[in-house]
Amino acid sequence: MITKSYSLFLKDIKSELRTRYAINALVMFILVAISVILFSIGNEKIQPELTAGLYWVVIFFSAMSGLSRAFVSEEEKGTTLTLQLIASPDTIFSGKLLFNLILTFFINVIITLIYAAFFEGFVINNFVLFLVTFIFGNIGLAISSTIIASIIAKAGSKGTLYPVLSFPVLLPLILTCVQLTIFCFDGTSFANALYELAIVVSYDGIMITVSYLLFDFIWKE
Amino acid sequence: MYWKIFLFVLMAFVSIAGITFPIVDKPSVWYEFPFIPGLGENAKIIFFHVPTAWLTVIAFLMSCIYGFRYLKNKNLNDDVKAYVANQLGIIFCILATVTGAVWAKFAWGAFWSWDPRQTSIFALLLIYGAWFALRSSIESEEKRATLSSVYSIIAFVTVPFFIFIMPRIMTGLHPGSADDETSGPIVNFKMNENMLLIFFLSLIAFTILYFWMWNIGYKSILIKEKLQKNIEVVRDSIFNG
Amino acid sequence: MIQFLTDNAIYIVMIIVLIVWTGIFFYLLGMDRRIKSIENEMKGENNEE
Repeated sequence: MITKSYSLFLKDIKSELRTRYAINALVMFILVAISVILFSIGNEKIQPELTAGLYWVVIFFSAMSGLSRAFVSEEEKGTTLTLQLIASPDTIFSGKLLFNLILTFFINVIITLIYAAFFEGFVINNFVLFLVTFIFGNIGLAISSTIIASIIAKAGSKGTLYPVLSFPVLLPLILTCVQLTIFCFDGTSFANALYELAIVVSYDGIMITVSYLLFDFIWKE
Repeated sequence: MYWKIFLFVLMAFVSIAGITFPIVDKPSVWYEFPFIPGLGENAKIIFFHVPTAWLTVIAFLMSCIYGFRYLKNKNLNDDVKAYVANQLGIIFCILATVTGAVWAKFAWGAFWSWDPRQTSIFALLLIYGAWFALRSSIESEEKRATLSSVYSIIAFVTVPFFIFIMPRIMTGLHPGSADDETSGPIVNFKMNENMLLIFFLSLIAFTILYFWMWNIGYKSILIKEKLQKNIEVVRDSIFNG
Repeated sequence: MIQFLTDNAIYIVMIIVLIVWTGIFFYLLGMDRRIKSIENEMKGENNEE
């Protein structure tokens, strides 16, 4: 199963690298979104709370514009039936999740670098905490986005529906991550942020369990 | 039949008690409510606003349970039940949001202040909205039933996080929240026995009302579908000789 | 009686709420009856077939 999902992941990477459509579009999306924010701020100095919020807003919307492709492209190309024949639902979900994880980490590293370069308020005083938040927040984001993307693909790939369905599911994660990012700016110690970290980690755990349990039903539809 | 009379009497009693029982400093008779600092007469909202919020959660739970049952048995009747539960749920969710906002204007000075409870009910409203948006985008009945069942389960498992995360992020204004010092957690301390009793009676009355409305709703849809099937059978028999 | 009601306007609110509740209740009751009779009718039809 692991080798199969890995080869599915490789197939996705290859077909992505052949056109570079998603990556190019996403990088441009990030640049456009951040420059709109920078233009509207102008020379104002914004508070760390606002910077943390804006950081996760950009992450949320770039995830919403990029992560639905994993399943939607299969539906568009009509390759869903072939996939159903050659692999079990768990394998397919693992492969797609892996691809989305890599994509999420890629775009979020870019977002973080741009923020660190252009925003005065984006000064991380607790780097370990930020790294842990970043990793677990992205994992949660990727899991929820992948399962919702599979629903969207089955519902006839309605682009506008994707953020609508994802937002309520992602809201607890994003609120917690915004709070954790504020902690990183404040330099709050690791021990004081354990409560929020526990929430993020348990969110990841619950979402991945529910996703694997429910993906069977979505995929067979 | 008897439970309908019981419901009528109960709801009438709750309305009488909730509206007219006086609020005094030191309640001595059973029909007097205690004065809660910071709330005053506003405290009476609890008999009508909290049940609507309660029904919102009940409806959400019901749609989740019936979604689960649908995935297990693939019986479309379960999907109809979940659909009607959510229809009522979104109505009560809007009612809870609006009544809460009107009350907040006079208790806190603003219609909306992103209090933890307000944020939670807003998230529920978003989930209900997303659920209906998802349903309206799918044509095939089985597909619609499966996907909306899956979505209501996914949305349901994220809700408990709000309970843990909200009080840490926002300061609570709502009576009953953890750091509320002026009015205190009224359910535990400031409400006396008769107020608590009427509050629970009101919860019971609203819950019975909800299940009655739900019953009528899903039965009427089932009948409609049965009739449609009968008409199709008749039409087929006419056209095919 | 009239004097009492003019002095305590809250009781008028109570009466109005009660009337509204009675209206909603009897509407629901009628709806319930109608659904039940339709259900019985459909059951009868299916048996005849």
